[in-house]
Amino acid sequence: MSFVVPIGPQHPALEEPEHFRIEVKGEEIVDVDIRLGYVHRGIEEALSKRTYMHGLFLAQRVCGICPVSHSLAFLRAVEEIAGIGCPDRARYIRTIGAELERIHSHLLFAGIAAHEIGFTTLFMLFWRDRELVLNLREMLWGNRIHSSETTIGGVRWDIKSNQVPKVLRNLALLEKEVKHYIDVVGSDRTILARCADIGVLTKQMSRELCAVGPTARASGVNWDIRRDDPYAAYSEVPFKVITERDGDVLAKILVRLREVLESIRIIRHALDAMPGGPIRAEFKGHVQEGEATERVEANRGELLYYIFSKGGEKPERVRIRTPTYANMPTVKPMLVGGTIAEVPIVLASIDPCFACCDRVTVVDKCTGKTQVMTKAELRGLNK
Amino acid sequence: MMKAEQVVQLIKDYVKDVKVTNERRVTAITDKQHYREALSTLKANDILHLSTITGVDLGEEISVIYHIDCGGPLLNLKLFLPKKAPSLLSVTDIFPGAVLYERDLMEMLGVDVENHPDPRRLFLPEDWPDGNYPLRKEAKK
Repeated sequence: MSFVVPIGPQHPALEEPEHFRIEVKGEEIVDVDIRLGYVHRGIEEALSKRTYMHGLFLAQRVCGICPVSHSLAFLRAVEEIAGIGCPDRARYIRTIGAELERIHSHLLFAGIAAHEIGFTTLFMLFWRDRELVLNLREMLWGNRIHSSETTIGGVRWDIKSNQVPKVLRNLALLEKEVKHYIDVVGSDRTILARCADIGVLTKQMSRELCAVGPTARASGVNWDIRRDDPYAAYSEVPFKVITERDGDVLAKILVRLREVLESIRIIRHALDAMPGGPIRAEFKGHVQEGEATERVEANRGELLYYIFSKGGEKPERVRIRTPTYANMPTVKPMLVGGTIAEVPIVLASIDPCFACCDRVTVVDKCTGKTQVMTKAELRGLNK
Repeated sequence: MMKAEQVVQLIKDYVKDVKVTNERRVTAITDKQHYREALSTLKANDILHLSTITGVDLGEEISVIYHIDCGGPLLNLKLFLPKKAPSLLSVTDIFPGAVLYERDLMEMLGVDVENHPDPRRLFLPEDWPDGNYPLRKEAKK
């Protein structure tokens, strides 16, 4: 006899409210269906009603965690059509902004993953250390997340030399902690029991379903837009593309933590190698006819913007393909064959940003009875 | 790593107009008769990543663009469909990752994707009126 466990739309495991219909036989998950769109805000259409300058701020607000990635993808496309170059110093500042964002996003993910397996101490530690980076963003650009430091043709704020020591100091602290966390995650018995061999996505499956970012790299796909289609200053900064082989939840956590170390290296190098000069090229607001498809490696993977311009101050069409959208089809193979107790951590493992809460309704198909389970009860199943 | 010129060689029999913007961007125009062959050829050469599918309302026509990561260059494979009856065959048998993008294309631009394994709505609510496609120019606001 199979049961249907609907998760969402108001559920923790996703950045936006989304609905997962999970069919189970006993404890085992036999089928998964996804319903998206509960927070579809029509931003693609809205962007075609706004000037490029105005649209930039809207594009940044597509996501509450990765505004820098969204702005860079949007800018890259606009600058490509308009033929605007970005000054060298600004390219380095953009790189630093994007990497600071990647660090805080990956630590946010790691904290949530710890929370999902009931390891609250580790969750607190990850989020404590995330503050190191958020404080840096605030110091450099005046805001922790939505700092809008990028603009068409460059950046809006320079990094001053008296700010650099503080950046290096915080990064050194963070590096030490993250190295320790990598050891902890790879060796702690609780974490291994809950994360190893759980929610496995094979390399073949990952490639066929067109998975992106750390989700794909955790399955051994050696692919990173920063290296393979470089933007900002990535072609001039040495870094390694991190991959893991196993494709399980553990690999997805380790890939992100190891990427944090690479991000720290990138920022150090960028601060050191950053040339002087202007930080902004002039953008007059008018963009000629043309189209551009541009990508960046956002924190969760390949983020694609397509902009089609008929000439003028507003785009004709903007298409946005976010990484979580691309990774959605991978959720099914990760969940099927597992148990309900694994659902929170497996959903979390693609890092779909968490938002709201906390109910699971278990429907008995035969009797039609429903039972609402709180997240605490769901976690209780883990124990 | 594949070069832009190699990508052009692979698909040249199935496209009319190819533009290599730079080493990382190739744009090609194909048509309804040939796009599946072009995609199958790419797949046979171990190009598996379909980044997304974009639909654009051009007034009289709807253009459908397949953005394909060819391990280096990004190929934009474009075809035009008449707006009166826009329809094409699903490519989910070639690129399983296209499943959500095609549902998106169906509901947002009213392109009829035939043979789609799961042609339900994706983002729009269940009670959204039939025949009102939000990303078309004439969409009711």
